[in-house]
Amino acid sequence: MEDIENSIYALKTSAGQERNVARLLARKSKDSGVGICSILVPESLKGYILVESSTKIDMRNPDIKVPHLRGIVEGNKDITFEEVKKFLNPEPIISSIQKGSIVELVSGPFKGERAKVVRIDESREEVVLELIEAAVPIPVTVKADQIRIIQKEAD
Amino acid sequence: MNACTSCKMLSSKERCPVCGNPTSSNWSGLLVITNPDESAVAKELGISLAGEYCLRVR
Repeated sequence: MEDIENSIYALKTSAGQERNVARLLARKSKDSGVGICSILVPESLKGYILVESSTKIDMRNPDIKVPHLRGIVEGNKDITFEEVKKFLNPEPIISSIQKGSIVELVSGPFKGERAKVVRIDESREEVVLELIEAAVPIPVTVKADQIRIIQKEAD
Repeated sequence: MNACTSCKMLSSKERCPVCGNPTSSNWSGLLVITNPDESAVAKELGISLAGEYCLRVR
């Protein structure tokens, strides 16, 4: 099987508009002759999208003029496919959480509260937390994507 | 939008229009494939149909 030789470009977008830019760019590339094969919007890259293209992407090309597209990331080295691979299979957030970690809740009724991880349920991607500032420690079960790690492991 | 729990394709239906598996609204990461034949990303993930996909579905 022959290898596919495409270049991967990182494009800067307005924060929060990554998906819209990707969809608009895909639609525009279909109508024009730009050789975009795929567009990747990893959740971990805020404000950037990765575009796989068989032709060189030039911001001056009117065919890729899309609202909220801010520019192309220039660099001496090209983005290799190996680097992109790790975005294709994102590892679950839960694998980076350890028992005893200090986390902050980012959504739900306890938003903004700090808590300590007491138990991890990997199969259901849930964690049991104990709020630090609560007078009485009450275990709270939340989904792993509702927390942000502040400190990997408490001393 | 919902993502198919099997092929990860995005659709607004309860069941995936391509493979018929149930869809889930809990997904993250977006991948738009416009040319599956020439895309290395599509080849890596075994995608042969153009469309919108998610990277992770629960």
